[in-house]
Amino acid sequence: MNIFLKRYQELGQEVKPIQLQTAIRTNLIKISNNELKSRLEERGVKVKKIPFTKNGFYTKSRFSIGSTLEYLQGFYYIQEAASQLPVEILEPKGITVDCCAAPGGKTTQLAMSSDVTLAFESNFKRLQSLKNNLERLGVSNTIVYNQDARKINGNFKKILIDAPCSGNLILDTEWLMKQTLINVQQRSDLQKDILGNMINQLDDKGELVYSTCSLEPEENEMVINWALKIFKVKLMDIDCIGSPGLTNFQGKDFDKSMTKCRRLWPNRTNTQGFFIAKLKK
Amino acid sequence: MIELFISKFTDTKVDYTKIDNEYFVISKRLNEIKQDLKPELIGLFLGKDSKNKFYPALPLLDILAKTSKEKVIVKDIGEMDFIYGKNLRKRHIEKIEGEDKQGFFKLIMNKKGECLGYGKLEKDNKVKNILDKGDYLRREKD
Repeated sequence: MNIFLKRYQELGQEVKPIQLQTAIRTNLIKISNNELKSRLEERGVKVKKIPFTKNGFYTKSRFSIGSTLEYLQGFYYIQEAASQLPVEILEPKGITVDCCAAPGGKTTQLAMSSDVTLAFESNFKRLQSLKNNLERLGVSNTIVYNQDARKINGNFKKILIDAPCSGNLILDTEWLMKQTLINVQQRSDLQKDILGNMINQLDDKGELVYSTCSLEPEENEMVINWALKIFKVKLMDIDCIGSPGLTNFQGKDFDKSMTKCRRLWPNRTNTQGFFIAKLKK
Repeated sequence: MIELFISKFTDTKVDYTKIDNEYFVISKRLNEIKQDLKPELIGLFLGKDSKNKFYPALPLLDILAKTSKEKVIVKDIGEMDFIYGKNLRKRHIEKIEGEDKQGFFKLIMNKKGECLGYGKLEKDNKVKNILDKGDYLRREKD
């Protein structure tokens, strides 16, 4: 049996590839939820509210939802349901920082409720997709920087780290064949570097949301557990779908407050695999 | 060069900031909190100068559409053809507003009042497609 599937089984989860429903998020900068729903239904798209997100819809259509006039007008962003949650949990207001911004799903979501979003992306090649999406969605309150999140400097009250991660088997059918524990550990090290730097830039009254689309404890609970030990931060309660974070894995115990994190197991939530934690000082 | 482009559509002033060869709408708030780093993008991108020519971005057309009288309103059939990059013919056009002489630039609007791009009036009221919102998809494929 594949090592990752075996690990999931040890955690009591039977994770299998599932067909994800196409999900979109309304761009409230340009249109309301009701108006978008009507417009898409007029085109013959079946539209159903995602029950656990504020502005998300599942869609079903005979044509690509990424080529409608409404898409080109920037009325929505195609964004998997689980990945709509971190921004909602952060509750952006004032100046918000998006650390690993491209291609811009969460950046454009932050822009709907922040005064200003500072979007940082280290990969120059990925900047173009970020800029295209900001332009299409008519975002005017964002500044984009080509900067590595490990080098961001400032004092911020709202920070989003949607960290670079190994991904999960729901998004990539070849994931199980491609991934190794070494790769997962390398990601974990990078995630700690990013989180560590950003905690140092977090205001004393600030809040930070850390998320990944990985199911691997090394990239989730172990990163948060490391941060709880090293820095003066604590976990905050999160009100969203998912199971509590793990408090132990393969004989290692984590901080008991880890249950405040949310872990989205695809077999339970019908979403991609996801992990979310919210921290404050 | 952006001024000349804007003047083809409206007399209303558009507030913009030029950084190097690019134009942006930058709010006062954004200006206040800029970092020391050079931004890759700030505010709303309006277009850029390149080789002595101005290349508008699609958000600028949306802004111009609020005050411009130079418009071609297209029928539903013209809407999709135009955003697929095609030129407009008589059968696509519902109405021409403003000047209807050859050589004039026109914002292309659907019947819902949404801007789809812009083009140039040619002989027999045909419209040459210069820029349309299908460009977003074409960029994704690049």
